[in-house]
Amino acid sequence: MSSVAEKAAEYIRSYQGRPIRIMEVCGTHTHEIFRQGIRRMLPESVHLISGPGCPVCVTPIDYIDEALFLAKEKHVTICTFGDLVRVPGTEENLQDVRAEGAKVRMVYSPMDALAYAEKHPEEDVVFLSVGFETTTPPSAISVREADARGVRNYAVLTANKTMDQAYRALRDSADAFLYPGHVSTITGTGIYQELKSEGISGVVTGFTGAELLTAIAVSLKKMEDGKPFFVNCYPRVVTEEGSPSGRAIINSVMEPIDSEWRGIGVIPKSGLKLRDRYEAFDARKKYSIPNIQGHADPRCRCGEVLKGECTPNQCPVFGRACTPEHPVGACMVSNEGACAAWFRYGRDFR
Amino acid sequence: MCVGLPAKVRKVKGGTAVIDAGGAVREVSAELIENLEPGDFVMVHAGSAIAKITSDDEQESDQILEELGI
Repeated sequence: MSSVAEKAAEYIRSYQGRPIRIMEVCGTHTHEIFRQGIRRMLPESVHLISGPGCPVCVTPIDYIDEALFLAKEKHVTICTFGDLVRVPGTEENLQDVRAEGAKVRMVYSPMDALAYAEKHPEEDVVFLSVGFETTTPPSAISVREADARGVRNYAVLTANKTMDQAYRALRDSADAFLYPGHVSTITGTGIYQELKSEGISGVVTGFTGAELLTAIAVSLKKMEDGKPFFVNCYPRVVTEEGSPSGRAIINSVMEPIDSEWRGIGVIPKSGLKLRDRYEAFDARKKYSIPNIQGHADPRCRCGEVLKGECTPNQCPVFGRACTPEHPVGACMVSNEGACAAWFRYGRDFR
Repeated sequence: MCVGLPAKVRKVKGGTAVIDAGGAVREVSAELIENLEPGDFVMVHAGSAIAKITSDDEQESDQILEELGI
């Protein structure tokens, strides 16, 4: 451990204040915190909660059922980030239907999906557009470019979300948030000053051991003051203004809508859909997707895990019916999900 | 999903940049960052450069801890 990380770790270990709940919002933070053994060094009174910042984990089951409908009934080519392929729908997942002959391709970026559509004009291609502010600009760019280039066999199935209303919805679940470093590159830090004025505390956090430990130490230190706080602990990447051009791209192609978060429910104005100007690229309209009501396995407690109301090992199917090879819930599918992290790095964490 | 890959910018042309991430060279969108130049270090996510990287994590963390008296 570096001297900086050790300094922060020593401060955390010596914490003797009141019990504190810190929610790491970002799924990549969840993964790194486990991987680097940070949970093991926390004192009893410091609780880390894995929050809803894994887009795969908070995407509702209806969305997977919509993608399955497109693959099976409309015979479109689905292009998707890899994590979504094994997320259970009501009865099956995209991997299952691919084995049965449906076209499901994994891509690195939305522009790769658009490039595939251009090279295969005989196929109808739909990109599964999930993600937060970090991932949404590339999706928006792909739609804008498809329109500009006249690529008519390309569409997106949107489930993009924005984080600001989620913090407000979850304000009672934690005393402070570790805000997502890369979402913040787009949003900037102004939103966190607003949240501070509403009594919501947190720090923007990077992803290395030194950065994560520093962010936790700073949270504990600021908590002593008893006042709402915000500190940017990742200024080498995150600025106050963020990416105005990134926000402008999103705003030009998409508009806010109420959105369902798995396990949390509908959060007003926390989702994005294509503007009418781009409706020709909206897969729901283009393929007349019916209103699908998905049904999650009733034993799965992913929703409570996402709100910090239970830990993965308190779920009756964790490690038994639900494993990374055979996931029941989305939190076990994604590498960034809390259940997958608990399973991979040990089940003896608090 | 929001994993970022640090990379060095080799070329900038129009709205795109050629980046080098530990030897892996790839063209990415440069639309999200203003005034990007060859030699800059950037964070790359899903085919887009999302931010410039301006410092080292250890140095920066040390400064933050010092400022708060930790």
